[in-house]
Amino acid sequence: MTDENGDGSGGVEGTRLARRWQALDRGWQALLLGLAVVAVHLVIQPF
Amino acid sequence: MTVLDDLGPYVPGMLLLGGGALLATLLGAMVPGLQPLVVAVALGVAVANTAGTPAVAEPGVSLHKLALETGIVLLGAAIAIEELVAAGPTVIGLVVVVVAGGLLLSEAIARGVFRIEGTTPSLLAAGASVCGVSAVVAVGRVLEARGAALTYAAATVLLFDAVTLVAFPLAGEWLGLTGRQFGVWAGLSMFSTGPVAAAGFAHSVEAGQWATVTKLARNSLLGGVAIAYSVAYAARSATDPEARELWAEFPKFLLGFLLVAAIANGGFLSPAAIESITATSDGLFLVAFVGLGLSIRVRELRAVGLAPVGAVFVHLLVVSGLTLAAVRTLL
Repeated sequence: MTDENGDGSGGVEGTRLARRWQALDRGWQALLLGLAVVAVHLVIQPF
Repeated sequence: MTVLDDLGPYVPGMLLLGGGALLATLLGAMVPGLQPLVVAVALGVAVANTAGTPAVAEPGVSLHKLALETGIVLLGAAIAIEELVAAGPTVIGLVVVVVAGGLLLSEAIARGVFRIEGTTPSLLAAGASVCGVSAVVAVGRVLEARGAALTYAAATVLLFDAVTLVAFPLAGEWLGLTGRQFGVWAGLSMFSTGPVAAAGFAHSVEAGQWATVTKLARNSLLGGVAIAYSVAYAARSATDPEARELWAEFPKFLLGFLLVAAIANGGFLSPAAIESITATSDGLFLVAFVGLGLSIRVRELRAVGLAPVGAVFVHLLVVSGLTLAAVRTLL
């Protein structure tokens, strides 16, 4: 139940995308993932 | 190195979380009255305290906090802003009073009654009044608290997270509270975000939504509380800009929650999309709660001293008693 910031930030290895992702605060990661899910729904299930 | 290589280390833990969530869903469907979210936490606790989490699964399991926060962002799609605005001033007023009053009460009980010294009373007060372990860590960082004090306070908060996760839904049922009353009560009185949401949804979907929203309002005060403590202890560097400190402590996913709520309430999403996004949010909560259970170590909780437990217990009794009276009267 620890709530410290930054998830999956075990190291700085990986692709540039992974390094950029790991450098983000966990709150930003959650915000981006959530908005991505909403964006996908806007495209695949429009009015 | 490809993106697939990046994801590789997380796969075993994600499978463990996903498998637990699936099993919780199946058990919840098979046994009437059994809440899948509660089963998810119980499964996690059972695995963590018997076989233990395999080392290979640790990186993936650590993603459960990200799953919880993403689930909360998506929960925004299911929130009716009109309802929030109607109850908003009352709930926000209660949150401010509970956080400010809770901090002072907790400090007074810990220092005056239980004679705990140093930074530990402040860490306990922040954990109990704002948002659990994240508040303990944030205030601990500001006060430059010792590692032992941090561990002690965090373990005490975790102990109460585990106990209230079971006790609150039972109490809510027994007291015959409505979904909104129970949700706001849990959101005002319990400590960490995960257990608050789990307890809320264990009561009802409505209670889960209100519990999460109320808890988010409390979480948003963390930056201000950290600043207040740094000023009170005079430990803050004079060159450290206040706004930056506030922003660093602010839970950013809250902005995502508000943004998604605005998109959904602005009529940009079809009913099918809202239903699907809510289902995704539910799935993420299930996964997060398996991870929440996996992070509860009964042996570690037993090591907590009696004085912090006594201080936090008195705080919880007073705060939950007063907030219960308030939600019954005002909501």
